[in-house]
Amino acid sequence: MPQTQAYEAPRTLADAVRLLSTDGHARPLAGGTDLLVQSRATQKLPSTFVDLKRIPELVGIEVGPDGLRLGAATSAAVICEHAEARRLWPGLVEAIGLLGSTQIQGRASVGGNLCNGSPAADTTCSLIVNRARGVIAGAKGERTVEVERFTTGPGRTVLEPGDLLVALVVPRPAARTADAYLRLIPRSEMDIAAAGAAASVTLDERGVCTAARVAIGAVAPTALLVPAAADALIGSRLDDAALRRAADAASAAARPIDDKRGTAVYRKTVVGVLTRRAAGIAAERARARP
Amino acid sequence: MSTATKTFEHVGTRPIRHDGLDKVTGRANYGADYALPGMLHGYVVRSPHAHARIVSIDTSAAEAMAGVKAVVTGSDIPKTNAKLVMGEAALDLGAMGDNALAHDKALYEGHAVAAVAATSPEIASAAAEAIRVVYEPLQPVMNVDQALAPDALILHDGMVTKGRPKPDAPTRTNVALRMELTRGDLDKGFAGADVVIERTFTTPMVHQGYIEPHACVARWGEDGQVVVWTSTQGHFVVRDCCAGILGIDAARIKVIPSEIGGGFGGKIPVYLEPVAIALARKAHRPVKLVMSREDVFRASGPTSGTKIRVKLGAKKDGSFVAASASLYYEAGAYAGSPAGAGAMCAIAAYDIPNFLVEAYDIVVNRPKVAAYRAPGAPAAAFAVESVVDEVARRLGKDPIELRLQNAVREGDQAAYGPEFGPIGLREVLEAARCHPHWKAPLVPQPGRKVGRGVACGFWFNAGLNSSATVSLSADGSANVVTGNPDIGGTRVAQALMVSEELGIPVERVRPIVADTDSIGYNDVTGGSRVCYATGMAVIEAARDAQAQLRARAAKIWDVPVEQVGWERGRAIALNGASGREPLTVSELAAKLMHTGGPIIGSATVNAPMAGPAFGAHICDLEVDEDTGVSRVVRYTVVQDVGKAVHPSYVEGQMQGGASQGIGWALNEEYVYDAEGHLQNPGFLDYRMPVASDLPMIDTVIIEVANPLHPYGVRGVGEVPIVPPLAAVANAMHDATRVRFTALPLSPPRVLAALKQRG
Amino acid sequence: MATVHFSRGLARYTGGVESLTVDAPRVQELLVVVTERFPGLTQPLEVMAIAVDGEVHQHHDYLKLRPDSEIHFVPQIAGG
Repeated sequence: MPQTQAYEAPRTLADAVRLLSTDGHARPLAGGTDLLVQSRATQKLPSTFVDLKRIPELVGIEVGPDGLRLGAATSAAVICEHAEARRLWPGLVEAIGLLGSTQIQGRASVGGNLCNGSPAADTTCSLIVNRARGVIAGAKGERTVEVERFTTGPGRTVLEPGDLLVALVVPRPAARTADAYLRLIPRSEMDIAAAGAAASVTLDERGVCTAARVAIGAVAPTALLVPAAADALIGSRLDDAALRRAADAASAAARPIDDKRGTAVYRKTVVGVLTRRAAGIAAERARARP
Repeated sequence: MSTATKTFEHVGTRPIRHDGLDKVTGRANYGADYALPGMLHGYVVRSPHAHARIVSIDTSAAEAMAGVKAVVTGSDIPKTNAKLVMGEAALDLGAMGDNALAHDKALYEGHAVAAVAATSPEIASAAAEAIRVVYEPLQPVMNVDQALAPDALILHDGMVTKGRPKPDAPTRTNVALRMELTRGDLDKGFAGADVVIERTFTTPMVHQGYIEPHACVARWGEDGQVVVWTSTQGHFVVRDCCAGILGIDAARIKVIPSEIGGGFGGKIPVYLEPVAIALARKAHRPVKLVMSREDVFRASGPTSGTKIRVKLGAKKDGSFVAASASLYYEAGAYAGSPAGAGAMCAIAAYDIPNFLVEAYDIVVNRPKVAAYRAPGAPAAAFAVESVVDEVARRLGKDPIELRLQNAVREGDQAAYGPEFGPIGLREVLEAARCHPHWKAPLVPQPGRKVGRGVACGFWFNAGLNSSATVSLSADGSANVVTGNPDIGGTRVAQALMVSEELGIPVERVRPIVADTDSIGYNDVTGGSRVCYATGMAVIEAARDAQAQLRARAAKIWDVPVEQVGWERGRAIALNGASGREPLTVSELAAKLMHTGGPIIGSATVNAPMAGPAFGAHICDLEVDEDTGVSRVVRYTVVQDVGKAVHPSYVEGQMQGGASQGIGWALNEEYVYDAEGHLQNPGFLDYRMPVASDLPMIDTVIIEVANPLHPYGVRGVGEVPIVPPLAAVANAMHDATRVRFTALPLSPPRVLAALKQRG
Repeated sequence: MATVHFSRGLARYTGGVESLTVDAPRVQELLVVVTERFPGLTQPLEVMAIAVDGEVHQHHDYLKLRPDSEIHFVPQIAGG
C-alpha cells in the first residue's frame, strides 16, 4: 500500500467542507470500503483522507414524522439493526444489507455507496423508488438533489469539487405503501449485481395500485427510474399481467453492455424478471399493511 | 500384509492438527511474512501485450533513481536447454526461466519482462514505471481453434510435435505433443453398437484459487551461499530449478519453506524465486517479491482450457463396445498441458474393448498452465461422464447401474496400459447406489426446477521419493522430520503413523517440515503422494527406531534381541526371556543415555505409483428457469481412500475437491478480450464459490486397502475434483433436459440455452 | 522371458508387432533390446513411463524383471 500524504478527521461539517474545497486532491473517507480498495488497485492516493465519521451530521439514523434522515457515513450494520427503518422501508434496508460481507457492513455506508457512482450499487435503486434526496454541503452552501439525478455516469456524480454528501432524506411512506429490491448475482453473496430492480407501490383500500416507482440498476451507465414500468402497475391490482407489463417496460428501458459480469441480452431479460418479482414482493408487503 | 483385518490404535482417530492453533490465530508464517534486516522490496514489470516481440528494454532511468539497488531483465537469466526430472514429468528449465523473465518475446499478458529491487515498495513500483520496454505487438493466439488454424501465428519457432504426430501434421506448429492410446478395432466396435453418442465439449481455463499469493525472500551471501524463504509445494524442486535456471550449484542454495496457504499444484513451478535471487545477487541485499492477486491470475499457472470430442458406443444391454476421444488442451505459453493425463484418465473407469484416445498439447498466448489437482482429468471426465449419462438415458438405464455394468475391476487391463490391482470402483458405485441421497425424492422449491446427476472420477496418484527421520527424546516424546510442505494435514497424519508404530501419544510427536539442508531429498507435495509415499518413509523410519528400542530393551534385560518383541508401543519379552515386565517407550527413553545414546530412525523410499483411486459424486441442483441461476442443494462424495489415516482431513480433501469442481462447473472462467487481456483477474469477477453457495458436502469413505502401502493408504486429494464437473452438468440436464457441453454453467449461458430449448 | 506389450499406437513403430518376449535381467537391458530391434521406438519412448507388472515406475533402469514380467509403456503424468 503506497503512503498517503495526510489524514484528517474534522469534527465539524464546516471544517470538512473547508478541507475538501481548499485541496482538490483530498478525498472524503467514510467506510473506505471502495476508496481504500481503489487506492490500492491504482496505486494512486489522494493528498489527504478526510475522515467523515466524527462529524455528527454525517453519522446516525433518525426516523420521525417526516421520514428518514440518514447520515451519509452511517454504517450499513447500524442501519440494518434499526427496527423502525426496517419496518417502514424493508426493501431499502434489505438493499443496504447486501453491501459487501458481514465484516464490510461494519464500515460501508450508504452515502459512500452512492458517491462511488457505480451503476450496480445495491442501494441506489431502493433510494430512488423511495424518493430519497441527497443533502449536499459545499462551499456555496447546502442543496438537495433527487437520488435519480445524483449519479451522472459510471463513477460520476453531481458533486462538485469541495461538495460533500451529508445525509439522505427519505419521506415517510404513505399508507399501504411498501418497497422491495432484488439483484441478480451468480453467487449467493460477495458479488456485484449483474442486474438489480427496486419497486415501491401504494395501494388503495380496494387493493388497486395508486402510485408506484420502479428503478433498475447495472443495466445502464446509471441506475434508472423507469416511469413506464410504474405506469404499467398504476391502476392495476398488481396481478400477474400487470407485473409482466412492468417487466417488459423495465427490459425495454435497460441499455446494458456485454462484460465479464454478463451479456447485454441476459441483463435485459433478467432485469425484467427482477422487476416483476420485486414489484410482486412490494405488493405483498403493501397488502399486509393497514 | 492383509489390511482388511489389521486394527489400528491411533490411525483412524481425529486429533487436532499440530499446526492448527497457529493457523486459526494468525500466528503461522506464510511466504509474505518473512523479513530480513536490510531487505529490499522487488517489483516485477509485466507485459501489457498477450503476444509481442521485445525490441528493447531501457532500464537506465530506473537504475538512476534514488533507492533503486538492482534491475534485472531476461539477460540476467541464462538461456538453457536443461531439464529437471520430477517423477514422470521433466520440467523444462529453459521455459521456466523464460517464463520467470522473458528473453525475446512476451507470450501472454502479465509475462514478466523486468524486475526492480528498491528500498521501499513505492520506490520499486515507481522505478518499474520508469523502465522503457519497446514491444512489437503480434497477433495473439488465444485458444485451441486459433492455434490450430492453418494460418495461425507460431508462438515458438522451431517447435516440433513430440510423441506421435499425425503423418500429415504441419511442420510449423503450435502443437507441442500428440499422444494416443488404442486398443481393439474401433470401426468394428462401433459397427456393433446399438447406441452411439458423439458430442464435443469445452471447458474454460480456470485457476486453482489458492488464498495465499506467491511470495519469497532471497538472500545472496557475500560467500555466494543463497538462502530462499518461499511458499512452495516442494522446496527441493525450488532449489534444483533455481540452480538449473541460474546456472549455479545447487549445493549453494538452501530453501526454507513457509507455511503454505494452498497450492493445488500451482505452487510447484518457480516464478519469483529465480528473479529474487538474481536481484539479491546484484543488490548484495536480501530481496522480497510478492505477487498481487492480479499477478497470480495473470502470470501464475492455471489449468488448461479444453476442447474434447467424445464418441461412445453401447449395446442395448448397456455394455460399452467402443469409444473414441480427441482431447485438445491449452498449454499456455510453453509446452506442457496435462492432455496426456487427461487421455489416460478419460475412460479409465470403464472396460471398453475397442478405443482410440488421442490428446494434443497446444501452446497459446495465455499463462503457462501448472498442475491443478488431478491435472487433465476433470475436463476429460466432464466429457466422458456426460456422454455416459446420455447413453444411460437413451437406454433407459439407471446411470449408476450402467457404470457398475462397465466398471473396471481387479485384473482388467487399464486403458492406459497396465493391469489394475485391487481397486475400489465397484465398492464406490455400490455405496453411492445404496446412499440415502441417491434414493431421496427430488422436491423442487416453488418456481425452481431440480435435478440429480452422478459421475465417476479416476486418478492415478503418485509415489516418488521421500525421506524421513524419527528421533526420540529422553522424555519419551519424538520428532518426525520430513521435507514435504504440509498442505492437507499431512503433519498430523505422519505423527499418527509414529504413534501407531511406537505407541507415543500423538500430541507428544512433533511433526516437522525441514528445509533442504536438514533432511534428505523429498519430491514435491503433489500427486496425492505425501500421506502415501512420505508416510511410507515415516513408517519405515519409526520401525527403524522401534528396532533400535528393541535392542535397548535386550540390553536392559540382558537377553538376545531376538527374544524382544514389540506390541502396542511396548517392548515385550518373548519365549526365552518371558517373565519380564514390558518396557514402554517412555521407560526405554528414560534410559537412552545408559543404553547407547540417542535414537534416530531413518528411511527413504522410491515409491511406485500409489495405487489408483476412484470416486463417485451425487449432485442435486436447483435452477431458476427465469434467470438461469442455479444452486447445488445437496452433494455427496463417495471415494475409495485405501485407509483414512486422519478421517477429518480425508473428508476435508473430499469436500474441498468437490467445492473446487463445483466452482469450475458453475461460474469460474478466465475471461479474455479479443486482444488477449484478462478481464477478471480478481476474486470479485473470477467467481469461485463462497461458503454460502454450497450445502454441507456429505462424504462416504470407502477403504479398499492398497497393497503397496503398509496401512493400505491410497492418495486422496486429487480424485474428488474429477467427478463434479460432470455430476453438476448431468444434474443440470436432469433439471432442464438440456445437455450442456460448454462450461461454466453460468446464468447467462444457462438462460440462453433454456430460451433455445423453448 | 519377460513380455513387452506395445499399444496399437506404438505398434506403428514396430511394424505391427504388438508384443515381444525379451530375455533381459533388468529394464535397462530390456530397453536396449527393444530399441535395437525397433529403432523407431526410441523417440516415442522418450515421453513414456514404464509399467512393470502393473506398477508404474519413475526410476526403472535397474529394476529386476521376473521371467513372467509384463511390461507396458504408459504416457507420463504429473500430479497436483
